[in-house]
Amino acid sequence: MPESIPAPLIIDTLKDTFRDARAALAAEGVRPRHEHLGWILSVPDTHQKTVLAALDKERALRVLTCSTEDEANAVAAGLWMGGEPFVLMIQHAGLYASINTLRGVAMDGRVPIFYMIGLLSREKDKDPRESRHSMVRYCEPLLDVFGVPHARLEGPDDVHLIPEYYRLAQKRRGPAVVLVGLETS
Amino acid sequence: MAMKPEDALQAIAAARGDAVCVPTMTTSPAWRTIAPDDLSVGCVGFMGGASSLGLGLALARPDRRVLVFDGDGSLLMQLGSLATVAGAAPRNLVHFLFKNGVYHASGAQEIPGGGGVDFVAERARAPAALAALRGGADPRRAAHGSRRQDAHDGGHGHAVPPAGGAAARSAHRGLSGEPSSACVRRRGGDGGPRLWRRACARGDWPRARS
Repeated sequence: MPESIPAPLIIDTLKDTFRDARAALAAEGVRPRHEHLGWILSVPDTHQKTVLAALDKERALRVLTCSTEDEANAVAAGLWMGGEPFVLMIQHAGLYASINTLRGVAMDGRVPIFYMIGLLSREKDKDPRESRHSMVRYCEPLLDVFGVPHARLEGPDDVHLIPEYYRLAQKRRGPAVVLVGLETS
Repeated sequence: MAMKPEDALQAIAAARGDAVCVPTMTTSPAWRTIAPDDLSVGCVGFMGGASSLGLGLALARPDRRVLVFDGDGSLLMQLGSLATVAGAAPRNLVHFLFKNGVYHASGAQEIPGGGGVDFVAERARAPAALAALRGGADPRRAAHGSRRQDAHDGGHGHAVPPAGGAAARSAHRGLSGEPSSACVRRRGGDGGPRLWRRACARGDWPRARS
């Protein structure tokens, strides 16, 4: 049975992920130009609202709220070129809305974009692919069609997937996704 | 007064210094001819994303100036980016809008609203934008509209007009504090290639190397 993941755990994991990313950048000779560890590019996701609320108090992570997921992808490309770590926190509906930009930027442009995508309305007792909600049901198949690697965060024990898929995006020079199975707590 | 885009780009090239430039659509081929260097990041593979791409670059590299050469049809595809840019308020980003009223690359169909869309209240602001490019003057705070101080970098200088003004009249404020969107009527020119070019910056941007 999936479990909700506490916001502090996700935030601490993101901080560790960005620390590692900064270290990797430093090894490449990229000097940091900011005090913070990394960026959260967000089109607010109800599913991850406790994380977004907690991020308001975080100084080590900067949040940029974008009007659309298309924008967030393009901003991500600029941040990447400039040597900044980031994550896109969006919702499955935003993935659907911005799939062409994901294709153009992350895939064809080979920009390593790491996404955390909330499965809003996912039923706790069902596999997302069997959800009665099309927005839940089609998310993983859509990612499969585009060949985007993805994994599900089904509970606190799965947060190790965050740094793993972040690094996978870097390694592949393309998109990588973790799906947030249940609403964060 | 209408200008040819090539003339505007020539003027920008003369004043840009080491700014990173983000051309898109119809400005891309002309810019490649005018400034064939490694400090340009073409944004043509995802129409409408130039201002957001420029925003990301500007936020990542506050030590560099970033110039976006947008088109009116492109901007309409992600008009909300004006609000995002205004919210982030990077002081090192200048957004030029080349206004020809059509989707040139696909056969010059009129954009929604056609020539009636007034993107910037004061159209002939190109001289002010170029003055901003040349720098010198300290940024002045926008006199009106929503504005959020960038808490981390102290950035300011971008604003959107107060509610009630058309969204398309959003006036990015440049380094001089003057609206820096240069509206340029385009007449003729080549379509842009559909590809994503990433060749930005000199040596110190290792991630830009493919």
